[in-house]
Amino acid sequence: MRDARSYRIALVADCYVNPAPGQLDGLAVLAAAGWGVMQLPAGDYPAEVAQQLLAGIAEQVEEFSRHGYTFVLVGDRDGLAAALAQAGLPVPDRIAPASADELAGFLAARPVPPALAAQDPAGGSGPGVTGSR
Amino acid sequence: MGVAFVAHCLLNQNSKVGDGAHCAGVYSPVVDVLREKGWRIEQMPCPELAFAGLNRFWAVREQYDTAAFRRHCRRLAVAVAGAIAARVRHGEDVVLVGVEGSPSMGVTITSSDPERGGKPAWPDGSPELTSGEGIFVEELHAELDRRGIAFRVAGERHAIPGFEEADQRTRLESVLGRGDA
Repeated sequence: MRDARSYRIALVADCYVNPAPGQLDGLAVLAAAGWGVMQLPAGDYPAEVAQQLLAGIAEQVEEFSRHGYTFVLVGDRDGLAAALAQAGLPVPDRIAPASADELAGFLAARPVPPALAAQDPAGGSGPGVTGSR
Repeated sequence: MGVAFVAHCLLNQNSKVGDGAHCAGVYSPVVDVLREKGWRIEQMPCPELAFAGLNRFWAVREQYDTAAFRRHCRRLAVAVAGAIAARVRHGEDVVLVGVEGSPSMGVTITSSDPERGGKPAWPDGSPELTSGEGIFVEELHAELDRRGIAFRVAGERHAIPGFEEADQRTRLESVLGRGDA
């Protein structure tokens, strides 16, 4: 089986994963665009729980980053920047999209992930740029 | 409805072991069912990724059943159990959606082979699936038991022989619906 990963990962605020009725369904846009999602803790979690979850996320982002995966931030989460800084990582380029088209356009304009560029110096988009269907 | 705490890779196939990613990013067949049924989605961490890294080998429980990996899993399980406890305090129903056959994230089927160790050279088809939980799920289960929190489980089933998406959907829908009884 050919590995279908995209090397593209979005850190996504909970409100885009579990949108309120009528709000932007960011998860659907990211799935269609072939991006993996790392969900940020919901805003109503106790601070200690959120801090533990964010530390785990930063640990995983660190491993992905070491291997040339690319990141964006969709929305935001209090404490994320500090957790990433603790792991020596910057906050990825961010968008707070108001529409599906805005998010899709932002994702489409991102550069090829370093891991894929290294595999294909000609700059092809590589595997895994479509959804799971 | 309730909250489904899902294995990390169901939203991010980039976390899979090499040659294990079924799709680019979000594994929609599970996510779609959860959303159709009105369940909130909460993503658990991938216990193997931060511990063994992206270049990890395909493994069975025997490679991960170490004191250090269990400590790592317990640390993650405390955070996840804290999140689950917060939801339960609000009266929400909780389901864990794992990955059947996984040495870490299996919920009713994991993988085990006491013969595996040393230079990795085993023929395809070596029997490894066995009843039981993966190591992270065991640690999370223990932490939830300690807190007196009950939960139900379902699993993504790509690794199970005879896998069919329709069967996976039926099983997941059955588990999600059980709380309504």
